[in-house]
Amino acid sequence: MAISPELPDHTLTMAEKHAIPIDILSDATSEVMKKYRLWFTVPAEVKALYLEKFGLNLEKYNGAGRWELPVPANYVLDRGGIVRAGEADPDYTVRMEPSDVVTALRNIAGGT
Amino acid sequence: MTLKGQIKEFDASRNRPPEVMAIIRRGIDYTRESGAAGLSVGERAPDFTLPNQRGEMVSLRDRLSRGPVVLSFYRGVW
Repeated sequence: MAISPELPDHTLTMAEKHAIPIDILSDATSEVMKKYRLWFTVPAEVKALYLEKFGLNLEKYNGAGRWELPVPANYVLDRGGIVRAGEADPDYTVRMEPSDVVTALRNIAGGT
Repeated sequence: MTLKGQIKEFDASRNRPPEVMAIIRRGIDYTRESGAAGLSVGERAPDFTLPNQRGEMVSLRDRLSRGPVVLSFYRGVW
């Protein structure tokens, strides 16, 4: 499952939406990001950088006034909902290795 | 190559000026200091219900009843 603060995407056709084999979830009230302690508001100077240098207006994606984001994070949950592996890093260039996700899933499947 | 390595390489190829990198670095530090550290290994993931791309309400509890779940928080499509 993938979660972002973005409003539901209206650019995909219904066929495309049905073709995606995972859930793309919209946390439009930021409630889930907050529950998972990943939520932050974009600081003023970063907001100015996005707007002026990158031409990126988050409100276009997230809705009016929503300069808020999650720390990028990945979690592998066992059937009981317990976090068995995961990574969250405010440095958006540091992401969990896909091989570590696969290893965690194998460990769950193998009962370790 | 690892994903981390690929991202580092891509990020370096953008050749952002030092003043831009400084703003980005301060933003990362700010977020780190805000304590947004996420869940720890061994912790139970809070349940939630959110709409998916087809407008269907999806709960974590329901998906877990089918098997293990990989949960990925991302900032957006931009």
